[in-house]
Amino acid sequence: MVTEMNIQSPSNTANSETGTITPKMIARKVNVHYGSNHALKDINLDIAPNEVTALIGPSGCGKSTFLRCLNRMNDTIDICRVDGSITLDGQNINDKKLDVVQLRARVGMVFQKPNPFPKSIYDNIAYGPRIHGIARNKDELDDIVHSSLRKAGLWDEVHDRLDASGTSLSGGQQQRLCIARTIAIEPEVILMDEPCSALDPIATAIIEELIEELKNRYAIVIVTHSMQQAARISQKTAFFHLGRLMEHGDTAAIFTNPTHEKTKDYITGRYG
Amino acid sequence: MPHSHIVSSFDEDLNQLRSRIFNMAELVSKQFSEAEKALVERDLTLANLVRENDKQVDQMEIEIEKTAIELIATRAPMADDLREIISAIKISNALERVGDYAKNLSKRVVVLNETKNFDANYSVISQMIDIVNNMNKDVIDAYINRKSDKALSVWSRDLVVDNLYDTLFRELLTYMMENPKYITPATHLLFVAKNIERAGDHITNIAELIYYIVEGKPLELTRPKGDNSSETNVEFGD
Repeated sequence: MVTEMNIQSPSNTANSETGTITPKMIARKVNVHYGSNHALKDINLDIAPNEVTALIGPSGCGKSTFLRCLNRMNDTIDICRVDGSITLDGQNINDKKLDVVQLRARVGMVFQKPNPFPKSIYDNIAYGPRIHGIARNKDELDDIVHSSLRKAGLWDEVHDRLDASGTSLSGGQQQRLCIARTIAIEPEVILMDEPCSALDPIATAIIEELIEELKNRYAIVIVTHSMQQAARISQKTAFFHLGRLMEHGDTAAIFTNPTHEKTKDYITGRYG
Repeated sequence: MPHSHIVSSFDEDLNQLRSRIFNMAELVSKQFSEAEKALVERDLTLANLVRENDKQVDQMEIEIEKTAIELIATRAPMADDLREIISAIKISNALERVGDYAKNLSKRVVVLNETKNFDANYSVISQMIDIVNNMNKDVIDAYINRKSDKALSVWSRDLVVDNLYDTLFRELLTYMMENPKYITPATHLLFVAKNIERAGDHITNIAELIYYIVEGKPLELTRPKGDNSSETNVEFGD
């Protein structure tokens, strides 16, 4: 009997027999209700490994709701009910036996507004590895903090002031600190909910460059209101409208020749 | 027709781009008609006017490119808007080439006027120019009204121009074989015909671009070929 789902982390995602890439996460017939409000309707979507999937659509279309389903952030909302199946490496993430804390370690999240802890830069990153028991000693913890800062492209800017407060950094740096904090616990999927909406164009470009790099190690799902950003950084795009997934596919195809009229109207800025 | 943009000035910009293409196509068509008239009526003044007006065609291409580049920079167009703006650059480029052919036709009026005793067959030339001008008119109509079926009908008409060119090519070869004195004027006329045939090819390219704008995918049909002159060999008898 399975008492706790200590999910294995298979890194080999290519199916050697068929040559096809096995999706990292698979959502099937996902329906979400907030009380009587039917927020998501029959969503079927695959999240590929080592790719950026952008979720786009007008406000209230359900894209953030869907993102929050992927690491059960909707659990925190009492009136929220999620039906259907979402799997991570083939395992149902809505299984009651699943350890949600572990799930969120594997499926990390970066929010719209940078939210560093009111602690030092070092402790912001060390927090996760400490509570998950990832580091065995101080040296290992130092290594994790340093390498996470490097992977998040923040090391050069903060290496001489790791004791400074995380909140003393600029907005773009704080967001990269949050990304460093997320990758410190070695996730497999990173969810980003409008990570650049509070940042200036330079800080945005730095984050986008970082996302480009991070996708080599993780599956990334990003909600963005910027069509240009979706077009720039994602390989797959999914367009949501009124709680439905209207269209999804290769980003280049969606932005040059969308199939659905609603998608076209949305991405070209027309009245639909 | 597609819905209006929420930012109405984007629609105005796109309309301006369309009307620039329309005006350019009109001018190119007029250039061709006048080049034909200059050729048939041996009107050197008109021929020079066509050559002079080609600068205006070139200028229009520059303006369309500039407008299109500014639209890409300022509007970040997507989907059909993006296809339309990129195609506008290519269409203006094709029209500029067609304009060049009208100019080249006019250049040859000088030397053809100097030729005596050569009864050139201008009726085929006129017929070719009429067809090419009608193709041009219809292709721009297809562009303005977003009609891929009309663009396809223009596309298939290029075959008629090719066939006429092929016929004229053989006829001119016969002239040249008959009397070496005809070699110079016949060669010039051959270039005239070739220019018109090439103009038809460029208009066919425009038809393919319109198909792409409207349908979102390139036309995958094989273009019908009626010009067999590159494979034609007529030998002198013993």
